[in-house]
Amino acid sequence: MKKLLLALAATSLLAACGKKEEAAPAPAAAPAAAPAASAPAPEVGPLKVAIDPTYEPFTFKTGDGQPTGFDVDIANALCEQIKRKCEFVEQVWDSMIPGLNAKKYDVIISSMSITDERLKEVDFTDKYYNTPSRIVLKKGTKYTDPASIKGKKIGVLKGSTQEKYALGDLKPAGVVVNSYEAQDQVYLDIKSGRLDGTVADFMEVTGGFLSKPEGAKYELVGPDLKDPKYYGYGAGIALRKGEDKLKGELNEAIKAIRANGTYKTLNDKYFAKYNIDVYGE
Amino acid sequence: MNAYYIAILQGSVLTVGVSLAALLVSIVLGLLGAAAKLSGNRFLVSAATVYTTVIRGIPDLVVMLLVFYGGTIGLNHLMEAMGSKRTIDINPFFAGVLTIGFIYGAYMTESFRGAILSIPKGQMEAAWAFGMGRVQTFMRITAPQMVRYALPSFTNNWLVLIKATALVSLIGLKEMTYLAKQASAATRSPFAFFLFTAALFLVYTTVSLYALRKINARYSLGTKRGTL
Repeated sequence: MKKLLLALAATSLLAACGKKEEAAPAPAAAPAAAPAASAPAPEVGPLKVAIDPTYEPFTFKTGDGQPTGFDVDIANALCEQIKRKCEFVEQVWDSMIPGLNAKKYDVIISSMSITDERLKEVDFTDKYYNTPSRIVLKKGTKYTDPASIKGKKIGVLKGSTQEKYALGDLKPAGVVVNSYEAQDQVYLDIKSGRLDGTVADFMEVTGGFLSKPEGAKYELVGPDLKDPKYYGYGAGIALRKGEDKLKGELNEAIKAIRANGTYKTLNDKYFAKYNIDVYGE
Repeated sequence: MNAYYIAILQGSVLTVGVSLAALLVSIVLGLLGAAAKLSGNRFLVSAATVYTTVIRGIPDLVVMLLVFYGGTIGLNHLMEAMGSKRTIDINPFFAGVLTIGFIYGAYMTESFRGAILSIPKGQMEAAWAFGMGRVQTFMRITAPQMVRYALPSFTNNWLVLIKATALVSLIGLKEMTYLAKQASAATRSPFAFFLFTAALFLVYTTVSLYALRKINARYSLGTKRGTL
């Protein structure tokens, strides 16, 4: 029995150490001694795109396991532009950036916001969408500026761009700001009466709260919030640093699908009911 | 809606596969670790002590990120430095099995060590006196008795190990917890899918508890349960 166990462990060790040649352009392994062999091979293989399909309606899976959503459709449209095939890789959010740097895939197209912290680790293309955030309060509450809701209790998601805004602009004006582990918990506390409202992404709060029975007595107030100081620069495509050629191609492709109407078709497919162009201005 | 449940069921097969394979790895490592700790050789004892202290002291999640991503990034840098254009892609199934096995091997080491220490030393000495070798002594004298002493904490380790497989989604495996998360995000009805997953885990743990109780009864045949 022990021998069997050892044999099994040994074979699994060996198998795990096996190397895979990715998108192997040259069938014969180039001898390590030849320095000329390091010339960049033409990129003809599929573009490996990482998604975390847990963010409806941007990235999610249908019942039969197909990735779908706005991000996925945008990715396919961009791949068509740069004449490569998209190959989707599912990855949990927590290990998204480590996986990119470990070369498990080439890009991340999964509603990832471009932020200064992330730019230290990876590179981003231009934004491909930028939805505004909004303040939500009980219907009938007067709102003109942050000072007009002094003393009200606002819930926000911990670590979010909205929290940055609430702490930076609302709190100094006398608004009470509470942070929560999940946006769902904010909605629960609004329901239980401990909160007067929230600041959240327009899509999130519309789909997850205002369109539901518990959100019926609440409404959006004030203007679209999109100060880059708090909200960053929108969602972009993340890629490894130094991939400038790919970055240029993708930036061109984003411009091209904006110009040729593909973007508008996809925007209307998902967001027609909100009457919004998610690209922003 | 139903298609999501089927996907989760398929993911649960992966969960069973990963946990059983990881269990094998951890038993092997646990036996080696316990042998090292009891060997009396200073180098082996300190190596095994470092292993159990470090691994049991770090969260599983951190070990997994370090081993899998840190390892891959390091290897890729190495390949680049050597002028190779190839990138290394570690198979996530084996990576998951090895990492979980490696982590729980540390717990198994302590369980097995405690179990071996519970056997009166005179029994092993008697075996040697009869001319049995080390392997023979282990197979005939130590192992059968050790099983009984090790089973309670072995059972604990196994239950925690099964649940730890929920972490392998971190390295790209679609196990059932991640599939449940995907399904609940797509349908915006989390409770249905998470309850289903919880029920599946409960089935696995209940079946294993039953099996382990049978094994315990088998290895306790020669002993009498004390009554007051």
